[in-house]
Amino acid sequence: MLAKPLVYFAYLLKTSNYYQRGKQFFYNLLENPQSKIKSYFDLFMICLVMLSVFFLVYSVEHELSNTGEFFEQCVVSVFISEYLLRAWLYSDSHRIIIKEYEKSEYLNTPFSVLKTLKKVLGKKLEYMLSLFAIIDLLAILPSYRPLRILRILLIFRLFKLFRYSNSIKVFADVLSSKRFELITLAIFMGFLVFISTIAIYLFENNSSGGNVRHLYDAFYWSIVTISTVGYGDITPVTFGGRLVTVALILTGLGVLSFFTSIIVSAFNEKMYTLRENRTYAELSRFDNFIIICGFGRVGQEIAKNFEKDQQPFIVIDTDENNILLAKAKNYLYIQDDASKNTVLTNAGINSGASSVICATGNDVVNVYITLTSRFLNPKVNIIARANRDDNVKKLYQAGANNVIQPFQISGLLAAEYVGQPVAFEAILGILQEQKQILMEALVVYPNSLIENKKIEEIDFKNRKLTLVGVISSNKIHSKRRNRYKVKNQHFYFNPENHFELQAQDMIIVLGRKYSIEHFQDQLEKSRLRSGNKS
Amino acid sequence: MKKIAVFGYNNLSYEAISRLDQKSHDVLIIETDLSLRESAEEKGFKTKDIDFRSDSDLKSIGIGHTIDIVFCFLLEDSSNVFLTLSARAIDKDINIIAIAGSAQSAEKLIAAGANKIIDPYQICGQKIHELIKKPDITNIIDHTVFGRDDLHIAEVAIPTGSYLEDTYSSALSLNELHNLVLIGIVDKELDDNLHFAIGEKDHKLDAGDILVVLGPSREIKTFIKEVAKTGFTAPSN
Repeated sequence: MLAKPLVYFAYLLKTSNYYQRGKQFFYNLLENPQSKIKSYFDLFMICLVMLSVFFLVYSVEHELSNTGEFFEQCVVSVFISEYLLRAWLYSDSHRIIIKEYEKSEYLNTPFSVLKTLKKVLGKKLEYMLSLFAIIDLLAILPSYRPLRILRILLIFRLFKLFRYSNSIKVFADVLSSKRFELITLAIFMGFLVFISTIAIYLFENNSSGGNVRHLYDAFYWSIVTISTVGYGDITPVTFGGRLVTVALILTGLGVLSFFTSIIVSAFNEKMYTLRENRTYAELSRFDNFIIICGFGRVGQEIAKNFEKDQQPFIVIDTDENNILLAKAKNYLYIQDDASKNTVLTNAGINSGASSVICATGNDVVNVYITLTSRFLNPKVNIIARANRDDNVKKLYQAGANNVIQPFQISGLLAAEYVGQPVAFEAILGILQEQKQILMEALVVYPNSLIENKKIEEIDFKNRKLTLVGVISSNKIHSKRRNRYKVKNQHFYFNPENHFELQAQDMIIVLGRKYSIEHFQDQLEKSRLRSGNKS
Repeated sequence: MKKIAVFGYNNLSYEAISRLDQKSHDVLIIETDLSLRESAEEKGFKTKDIDFRSDSDLKSIGIGHTIDIVFCFLLEDSSNVFLTLSARAIDKDINIIAIAGSAQSAEKLIAAGANKIIDPYQICGQKIHELIKKPDITNIIDHTVFGRDDLHIAEVAIPTGSYLEDTYSSALSLNELHNLVLIGIVDKELDDNLHFAIGEKDHKLDAGDILVVLGPSREIKTFIKEVAKTGFTAPSN
């Protein structure tokens, strides 16, 4: 009887965009390590935990005011909501129901609601028994009045911090990676403490004239001595007791150094991951960065220019020497193979990267990286370097938007230099923005002062600009002269005086940086002004 | 007719040679690798196998007498430096264009006497940077000026007696009269540098000045012919 509505409800959830979007949102908020809002949420929770612990400490000696009580209730509500949301996110119950239903349909067996619900609850229970879920629960429970006795468990709220801070997580990871060594050490220390406790009790008990009153004192003394802290509140007076002390101090030194070396070596091993995490964290701050694959001569030149423009970028290279160079220059880098899906995904090809540059010296590698990048992100802009002519077509086939041939451009410039040295300087001057002369494309925004204006009506001369041409995809210009197809648009070189500019056309002007910026400002202002009027 | 000796036959030298106007340049390729030499010959280029380390070999191909320009396009930077040094020692006036694989090699090539250094990696890096920064402009330059499209940047020297003598750059109106865009002027009265034509200064044109123009090759050719004419009257607007 329950089966039908249950299955119907499960299918309803599966097809509901609203539900899926909601779940995705909470996944991004609570679990998705790549999401930006998660970092904000983590920060908020850290503040909340700290504040609640502050109130806890304050309440030890003071009575909490109404506001304090209200705040405590708010905190608990947030914690409960978070706990329930995480339990909800942990598994897709509707999928389990649908799977079970489809299985029974296929096998022609009756659909058991009880069995299905058991599976659903089993999954949720699995979550509730996980370490973090237990910590979460212990942080909430003591707030329930009948359980006030467990108030001390509120300290578990501090453990909640583990959830929100990556560095604490890393520390826990480091410790857990050395579990075997640490357990060995703990067992050894346990034996040591046990032997020394018994020995010191035997030598130093009150009846033998010593200061150790009972076994707990002996245990306390052993811990204080083995850790080399040595408070001095209990000191051995008998010969045997002192002998035990000397032995324990010497072994304690060994144990401590062993413990330190385990932690240090574990951190050393994790250093690469730690650094990589930092790189990813820094990258996640940017929305529009560039991935440079290959940090040879070409990659270095590109990085140098981006650094000048303050354009964020990340370098990926396998070569140790190249990575050392990137490190010395303080660039973000990953030492790995850029043709691996995981490397490009971690570098952010789907989360903020606007372009991928394949600049290695090997065409085969460049084709492979291009293919991987295009597969991972169909929209990303890919610029690839080709050393051989034959590979240009392959790179375009692999999905590159632009292919650059270093030797072709250089050959062309060499020929230009021989034939026309002045023209060569002009091209280089424009390309490299020498003397602050630039060629710039300015967009004709709707409602700006040049929209629907004829070329003769725009006084380029007075603005100290030279009009080179117009880029447009507008069919209205299709019968104009000097039309060159560039990608999916047309470039109209030296347009006639009566050429009328349309919205979204781009005018190509040559001029000094100031003149171009000034004109651009005027265009922007005129657009905003007319926008306000309308 | 300018005589050019190209040392090393590779992608770069092939691109450079094929871009040169074959009518006004006589190219000789020097390559030690037989298969490369054969492939160059297949494409119709003259080739020779000499040892660039020997001055007498260099002289035998005409360096010091007939060769005007040397392209040092060998694969090793050290070889290019050596060749530059040898060619400069033989002929003080020869024009040497060399490729450099690194910034340090570029400095050494300049010190050895090269006139122009081309660093393919640096140029490629800059090109990729431009593609990201100004994709529209770079695409246009690639497709037109650098591509095989019929749009070029050319320099037009003003000959003695040209109708342009004693006129002013502001009166040229190349865009309206010749369908060309004036990019810059070398005004010999001022200096040998290129001044971009962005309306900052009105230059008086004299014989020997150079106009750098952008436009379709047919219009450029027509303009060059017209500039050479004496007493030619420019069409009125």
